[in-house]
Amino acid sequence: MNTNLKISNVTKIYPGCVANDDVSLEFNSGKIYALLGENGAGKSTLVKILSGVVIPDEGKIYLNKNILKLNSPSDAKKNDIGMVFQHFNLFETLSVFENLIIDTDEQRENLKEKIDTIMKKYNFSVDLDVPVLNLSAGQKQKVEIIRCLIRSPKVLIMDEPTSVLTEQETSELFLSLKKFSEEGILIIYITHKLKEVMQLCDEVAVMRRGKLVSVSQINNENIESLANKMVGQDLKTIKKKKENTSSEQLIKITNLNFTSEDPFETNLVDINFSLNRGECLGIAGISGNGQSELFQVLSGEIISNKNSIEFNKNFIGDLNPQERREYLMAFSPEDRLEQAAIPQMAIFENVALNNFKSSNFFNNGLINESKIKEHSKKIISEFNVNTDNIDLKSQFLSGGNLQKLIIGRELITSPDLLICFNPTWGLDVGAINYIHETLIKINEQNKSIILISTDTDELLKLSDKISVIHRGKLSKIMNAEDVTSEKLGILMGGGN
Amino acid sequence: MIVDINFVGLIIASIMASAVPLILASCGELITERSGVLNLGVEGMMIIGAISGFALMTVTGSLIIAVFGAMLAGVLISTIFGFLTQTLITNHVATGLALTIFGIGISAMIGKNFVGIPGKEFPVLFEGLKDTIPLLSPILFGHSIVFYFAFALPFITSYFLKKTKIGLIVRAVGDSPESASNQGINVRFVRYACILYGGAMCGLAGAYLSMIYTPQWIENMTGGRGWIALALVVFSTWNPIKILIGAMIFGGLTIIQFHMQAIGVRIPVQFLTALPYIVTIIVLVVISRDSRKIRLSTPSSLGKSFYKDN
Repeated sequence: MNTNLKISNVTKIYPGCVANDDVSLEFNSGKIYALLGENGAGKSTLVKILSGVVIPDEGKIYLNKNILKLNSPSDAKKNDIGMVFQHFNLFETLSVFENLIIDTDEQRENLKEKIDTIMKKYNFSVDLDVPVLNLSAGQKQKVEIIRCLIRSPKVLIMDEPTSVLTEQETSELFLSLKKFSEEGILIIYITHKLKEVMQLCDEVAVMRRGKLVSVSQINNENIESLANKMVGQDLKTIKKKKENTSSEQLIKITNLNFTSEDPFETNLVDINFSLNRGECLGIAGISGNGQSELFQVLSGEIISNKNSIEFNKNFIGDLNPQERREYLMAFSPEDRLEQAAIPQMAIFENVALNNFKSSNFFNNGLINESKIKEHSKKIISEFNVNTDNIDLKSQFLSGGNLQKLIIGRELITSPDLLICFNPTWGLDVGAINYIHETLIKINEQNKSIILISTDTDELLKLSDKISVIHRGKLSKIMNAEDVTSEKLGILMGGGN
Repeated sequence: MIVDINFVGLIIASIMASAVPLILASCGELITERSGVLNLGVEGMMIIGAISGFALMTVTGSLIIAVFGAMLAGVLISTIFGFLTQTLITNHVATGLALTIFGIGISAMIGKNFVGIPGKEFPVLFEGLKDTIPLLSPILFGHSIVFYFAFALPFITSYFLKKTKIGLIVRAVGDSPESASNQGINVRFVRYACILYGGAMCGLAGAYLSMIYTPQWIENMTGGRGWIALALVVFSTWNPIKILIGAMIFGGLTIIQFHMQAIGVRIPVQFLTALPYIVTIIVLVVISRDSRKIRLSTPSSLGKSFYKDN
């Protein structure tokens, strides 16, 4: 049976921002549709409207020519619209089965049978009795998908589903989605990753600042044309110039171990690597394999054996982050609003937070505000942070601007080594481009970078050397030219 | 020294009787907290239950009206808490504290006219069987219906949370109200229901104190039992069966230290009085050390306000 879903003149206005501005779109089953746009383009609002989570100010939605009233998520479910959210909608402490039974009226045995059939058909394997918090991101997503499939949906909406998946998991997901589509489920796929759109989808709708900019067949598009539509301007493609890096060693890690008391953390086992000046070492891996522990050990949030870290001919393993900054190390943690900056404090106050001794931000225990403000202004203009109000609370900066501010704060002291963890996580194409340019630039200034990232494309683009972390162990260090994303994927999954 | 075996039975029965209000209030609060709501007003709701029960018994003369009236009073006062925290989105901690202060104050005001009035005798069940089995008879028979209900309640609560659909929904709401709301569960409704249920159980616990345990009205007669009930919930890691264990230890030590004081054991009174509090917490901490289980049974959203923005 054919399914036709029509969005007609939908508008949603939030205070200070038009999330959806008169959007009209039509979808038919048998095809996979991409909804493409940068962060904040309004794609998520649109799909939240389709799933009944958000109620539009204006506009109508039709399913098979019948008008749909979507006032709550249960309305969407009743009308056979299933949605897999970007941030999983699962109950972490409940078992997989409890998560599945909670929104059905079926008997336990019937439901078990149904789940078994679905898992066999699509080759999923998830243990039904374990609590969800023990599952990997890929398995959690499968639970979400099974939850939708139990209701045999007509429409399945996937909101940025691959942001947490490995390469292998992504290709498995794509196979399943194609199978669903062949079986007549209408699929709407939301993403800002262009490669995925080209790989998976049949038709693509691009959104920018709340407006629909184009709808086209995938055959008529390529990655560049879509990127330009999405950003609204021509992006210059950046490439790292391969120069002869110096052979002067900057940092050397020997037999670094970390054993955690927290069962939800990963232990680090025998980490060894070294890095020369002007090089970028990329560390790939599926999140939760010890990256955040590695970052904390390298930055000094977790202190280790003095001799395990040799930096610039000094042994610094037992120093805290502030003391390490004195030796010209700099850090950009993963969580911008929790670890790198304090959201309720003003921009200039956040700038003063990595108060290295030589900064003169503090005299006799008093804050030298004018000095800090002057310094902040310098960062804002040098690093392209899009605001001129340094009294603004940092929680009001967009992710991209906040990341620029943090990288700027770290780099303005011209450190010898920058350690960053997922620096472009959740940012849009424009901001990612800027951060990448900046990172390449500091390599060219003969400074080094340790880049811990879950984004393999980013690692392949920026790194000179690459290693993969899996269950707290580093693979051998490889030259970036000899590595492909397939090979990384295998190593990330624990293969050889 | 010859110890009469029936005397031991009587001591155990009195320990159980003193655990009853703790079990009732803790099991009620446990459901409230499992839905993600932290209601620190247990003490206040108990004392309101105590005065309402006693006053209704004196005025109407009907024990049934008094018991259900006390539960209704608990429901009413917890409605205030629900309205403030769920509808007006106030802070759970501050609102709960205010509720306790309010409860203690208003119960003292109403209670003025009831000081010194003797209570009525509450009927007991299976009185005839009292002398049939040595040791066990005093433990098993001759108690009020509330007593039997209290000792069944932890098992009922455990079954409810683990095996029923509604119990699952309560746990889901406590785990992640956002996810629950996106699944079409009415988070505010579920939380209201759990708050009111908690209020009813605290009201009943109070009524047990003023009508059955010590049948009279004394100002501030709950004497901190509400706070102990709250502590039991947390230290039992939201497990009804462990609440039962904790309440028995607490009740037991309270009774035993009374007897020790009476026979003149040379330990400072202050230390004896503090003993039940210290030992109960130590025991509960020791039996609940599995951090994985703690993670699984702790309501992740406890004390956090939830509002849906459209």
